[in-house]
Parts: sequence; structure tokens; C-alpha cells
Amino acid sequence: MRTPIAYFLVLSGVLFAIGSVGVLIRKNALLIFMSVELQLNAVNLALIAFSRMHADLTGQVLAFFSMVVAAAEVVVGLAIIVSVYRRRQTVNVDDARELRW
Amino acid sequence: MVGAFETSGAVADPTQAMRLLWLVPVLPLAGAAINLFIGRRLGKAAGWLATVLVGTAFVIAAIAVRDLIAVPAEARVYVLHLFDWIQVGAFRVNVDLRLDALSATMILVVTGIGALIHLYAIGYMDGDPRFGRFFAYLNLFVFFMLMLVLGNNLLVLYLGWEGVGLCSYLLIGFWFEKTENANAAKKAFVTTRVGDTAMLVGLALIVAKFGTLDYDVIFGSAGSTLTKGVATAIALLLFAGAVGKSAQVPLHVWLPDAMAGPTPVSALIHAATMVTAGVYLVVRMHPIFELSGIALVVVAVTGLVTSIYAGTCALGQDDIKRVLAYSTISQLGFMFLAAGLRAYAAAMFFLVAHAFYKALLFLGAGSVMHGTHETTDLKLMGGLWRRMPITATTFVIGAFALAGVPPLAGFFAKDVVLEIAETGEHWVAYVLGTFAALLSALYIGRVVFLAFFGAPRSERAEQAHEAPPVMWVPLAVLAFGAAFGGIVSTDADGRLAQLLESVVGGVPEAIGGLTTPLFFVIALGMTALGLGTAWFVYGSGRVDWLALRVRLAPLQRLFANGWYIDEYYATVLVAPGKAAAAFTAYRFDVGFVDGIVNGIGGVVRRLADVGRRLQTGFVRSYAAAFFVGVVAVLVYVGFRL
Repeated sequence: MRTPIAYFLVLSGVLFAIGSVGVLIRKNALLIFMSVELQLNAVNLALIAFSRMHADLTGQVLAFFSMVVAAAEVVVGLAIIVSVYRRRQTVNVDDARELRW
Repeated sequence: MVGAFETSGAVADPTQAMRLLWLVPVLPLAGAAINLFIGRRLGKAAGWLATVLVGTAFVIAAIAVRDLIAVPAEARVYVLHLFDWIQVGAFRVNVDLRLDALSATMILVVTGIGALIHLYAIGYMDGDPRFGRFFAYLNLFVFFMLMLVLGNNLLVLYLGWEGVGLCSYLLIGFWFEKTENANAAKKAFVTTRVGDTAMLVGLALIVAKFGTLDYDVIFGSAGSTLTKGVATAIALLLFAGAVGKSAQVPLHVWLPDAMAGPTPVSALIHAATMVTAGVYLVVRMHPIFELSGIALVVVAVTGLVTSIYAGTCALGQDDIKRVLAYSTISQLGFMFLAAGLRAYAAAMFFLVAHAFYKALLFLGAGSVMHGTHETTDLKLMGGLWRRMPITATTFVIGAFALAGVPPLAGFFAKDVVLEIAETGEHWVAYVLGTFAALLSALYIGRVVFLAFFGAPRSERAEQAHEAPPVMWVPLAVLAFGAAFGGIVSTDADGRLAQLLESVVGGVPEAIGGLTTPLFFVIALGMTALGLGTAWFVYGSGRVDWLALRVRLAPLQRLFANGWYIDEYYATVLVAPGKAAAAFTAYRFDVGFVDGIVNGIGGVVRRLADVGRRLQTGFVRSYAAAFFVGVVAVLVYVGFRL
């Protein structure tokens, strides 16, 4: 017997909500970054669940794409965080606000 | 590249030299490219390379022309297709070379005299820091001039037309370190542009009426396509271009100033070739001018007025090159007079003869300058023939040719024009033309006696030295041409006229006029009178010409300043133009245009001052806004479903 699709979607939704809250309330850039990853993976889970439901591999292919893009994004993002840290010995996003008006 | 050429045209069996016609313009172009890029490293070889390439082009052209003459007269057109240039809908322009009697005459002059002047320039420009670049420009000029005369449609002609204008600009201002030279170059470019703009409008009118710019189509259907009015409009617009390029009144003001350029440039561009492009254009387009009729009268009158006006100006100049410049303007007027009287072959004959003796005179003047530390003032010369016998001899031959001493080339060339005026009973043209001829004998006699005879009037003239062989050999060759060139065409129906008949038709019919002996007595009398007067005043020592000059001061100043036409333009055109430019620049642009731009900028800036407060700099507030936005979109989409 197959696991109902609803289980996956609920799990995906919960993960996405956790990620969203993390992005909104955290000050540490690294933790915000992790939360974004959580959101991405929640979406990947939903994609794969739908893919299985429709017996269509397109969803899985798209999930792979999003993983690859996410990996690239991690590289760039972490590099930025590292250089921000080197410059100001903190990664608190509220401190980096020189570029406002 | 060679294999792609198609050939077509009336010549059934083109010879090898004809098929190689493309080399004639391409060789100078290659020389220009080489000298432009590595001319500095070539040193003196740059000049020899340029000379040899133009000389080779001359040889190919000469063989091709010989082969062309060998075919029967009615088939003497050969069109060499190079490539398709423009195709827009039904309008197409090809780059084709057209070899017929008319373009054959021109390419021989351009490459032949061009090669001699290149050779001379090797000596004249020796030691110049931009030696290689000079020859690059000179070669580029030859290329554009050849495209101008060889093109088979008006757009290729126009390409060459503007190209030679560009080279003229570059070469007049070749010593641009001196502001006056740079200004002369600018003046030449801007003044000729006035005519060129009219010419471009003429071309547009031709495209509107014919849908093409090909000579064959235009001439084939002109009679049925054009009304007399439109033909007049086209002819006059094209003639305006010719007036600018050939320095006719009222657009002549640039040529005397163009003498700021190096002397070989004056000889090649401002005497032998570029300035004759206007004559070529009128002769080439003569079916349109004939269709109009009135346009031919305009051409003749312009030529006549110019030749007398410039003749008087030449009398008042003290700068040897400026005398020759005004002389060139005057002689070009003669060519237009001939063309206006439908004596196209006579105009072309005059063009060829003039190319020889005027190039010779300019190069002779350059040799004088070279030998006297750049002295150009006739008042400071005198007695040069002892010091520079070769230059003096060749210069005198050129001067006599210009004055019309038989049997030199200029005698026949001038008399053919006057003969046609007289046998056609154009009495005004004949009388005024004869007067212009008298003036030319007078002013060139003045130059000869002031420069070469009498006693030296300055230290530089005393210590003058002869030019090196690389300079006097071209002088000798040109003197030979100026002396014996007239043999090709000793009367109105001479050999050149017969050759050109396939392009321009026969000579105008004689309807009366003077008896032949009387005509020649008058012609020779004028030459003798002009030269004799010049000798009496400037050469015999019996007249104190400096005192005479003071007594005639107002007239002398009028002539020396070219009847104050420059000043007239400065007051009537340049000053209001500058005032208008100052108004637009400092009032309209600063006050109005900048006001609008700055006003818009100010409003945007003030709005932005308000709007940018939204950017708090807190990443999390951006994320929150983002989140709210996404939720709002989702809610909206959810409700729509």
C-alpha cells in the first residue's frame, strides 16, 4: 500500500513554515541561510511527491535542477557570509545596513 | 576573389588587361593600407612603394585603354562587375567599373600624372616626420579619384567624390600644427560640403525618378522619364556639387587657402585631378544637362564669370602658389565654359592639357620653394634661372603652355574652346573668354618675370639651389607633356574628340564665326599682348613696378583679396551663423534645453528623497515584506480559483 500524498504535502508544508519563520526572526546570517535551505528542500519534497502522484518524472527532474541551483547559491552565499565576517567579525544582518538611503 | 568577377558590357571579348582593371584602383588602396600601418617603419621606402604602385596602376590602365581603343568605336564600353553593394527592394547598387573613352581619359591622367607627382614628393617631403602617412593619404586619394571616374553609377561616383574630399581635407591640413593650415582644411571641407549636399539631393531626385543610379538606365530613359523642369532641377543640383568641388564662383573661396597643404598636394589634388571632378561630372551627365538646356547656359555663365574673376585675382597675388590657385580656378572656368557650349570633348582636352601644365607649374613652384627655404613671396624672388636652370626652363614651358604659346598644349586646348564659342556664334562667350585668356597670359608672365628673371631681391633668392633629380625628372616629363600633349587634338575635331565621340557625341556644328586666319591672329595677339605687357612691366626694367603698384593700390588690394568675397561671406554668412550658434549654445541650450532636462531631474530627485526612506537597511524587514507579498499573491490566486 502506498503512502498517501497528503502525508508528504503536510510534511513539506511544515518544513516550509519552519524555514519561513527562521528567515523572518533570525538575525544570524548563517541561520537565515540554513532556513532558506529548509524552504528549498520543502519545495523539493513537494515536487517529488507530486511527481510520484502523477507518475511523471518531470517533477523529479525539476527537483534535481533546484538542488543544483541551490548548491551554486550556497557557494556564493557562504562566500559572501565569510567575507562579511572577515570584515566586521559578526554576521548579524541588522548590522549590515550601510547601503540604505 | 578574382574568380568571382563576372564581366558584361559591350566589349565582346575583353582582354587580360581589361579584366585586370580592378587592380587599377586596388593597387593604390593597398599602398594606402600598407603605408598607414607600417609606413613609419618603411622610412624612405614608403614613398617609393606608393610611387611604384601608382605607376603600375598607370601601366595596367594604359594597356587596358590601348585594348579598348582597338575595338570598334560603337562597342567601346566595358563594365567589370566587382560585387553587389546595396540591395533594398527593387533598388540596387553594384560596385562596377566602367571603362569607356571618358573614364579612360581620366584614369590615364590620374594615374600618370599622379605617379609623377608621387615621385616628386619623395624628394619634396624628404625628412618630414610623417613621410609615410603623407604617401598613405596620397595613395588613398588616388584610389578614391579612380573610383570616382571608374564607377558605373552615381553612388560609386559619390563615394569617390566624398573620399577625395576627405583626402583633400587630410592633405591640406597635413601640417596641422599651424592653426592656419588646419583652418584652411576645415574651410575646404565645409565649403565643398555646401555643393555636395545639393548634389546628394540631386541623386535622391534621380532615384525618385528612375529608381536606379546606373548610368546606362538613366541615359537610356532620361528623354522619356524626365520633364524639362525636373531635368533642370537634377542638372543644377549636380552642378552645385561640381561648383563646390571645382571651386567655381561662388564656392571658390576654399581653393586659394588650400595652398596651405604641401605643394605636391596642390599639384595633384588642387590642379590636376580632384578639382576637375566637377568637369568630369558635367561631361558624364551631359544628357541630363542637354535635356534641360537652361542648365547648360548656367554652366557656361558660371565658367565664364569664374574665369574672368579668378584671372583678375591672380594678377594681384604675391604668393606664387596663390597665383597658381587662382589660375586653376580660372582655367576650370574655361572647362565649364566649354562644357556649357556642349563642347564636352574640348572640355576634356582642356582638362588633360591643364593637368599637365598646371601640375608642372605647381611642382616648379614647389621646387622654387624647396630651393629658397620655403620662400613663396614673388617680391623676394628674382633671377632664379641662373641658380635653378632646370626648374626655370620647365616652369617657363608650363607658363607658355598656360599663356597659349603655340605649339604647346595649352594653345590648342584654349583655342579649341574659343573656336567653338566663335564658330557657334556665342559672341559673349568668345569675347569674354578671349579676355580671360589675355588675363592668364598676363598673370603667368608676371610670375615668370618676377621669379626667374631680373636681379635677386633677397638673400634667399641669391643662394637658391637646384632641386634633386627625383624632383626635376617629373618636371621634365611633365614639361614634355605640356609641350607636345597638344598633338593629340589640334582642332575641335581632333583625335581626342573622335575618341570621346562614343561617349559625348560629336562636336557642336559650326554655324558661322570669324575666318580662321583672323581667329588665330586674335588668339596669338592676345597671348603676345599678355606676355609682352608682363615683360614690359616686370621684366624689362623700364617700369618701376613697385611704384606702379602703390599708384594702383586700391585695385591691387581688391585683386589681392579676391574682391573681398571672403570678407563678404564673413559678414553675411559666417557672422550671423556664429551669432545663431552662440544663441543656440548659450541661450537656447543652456536656458531652455538644459532647463527642461534639469527640471525633470530635479522633480525625480525630490520624489526619490521621499521614496528612499522606505529602504531601512534591515534585511529582515525586507524578508517580511517579501513574505507578505507572496502570501497576498497566493490569497488572490486562491480566491480566483
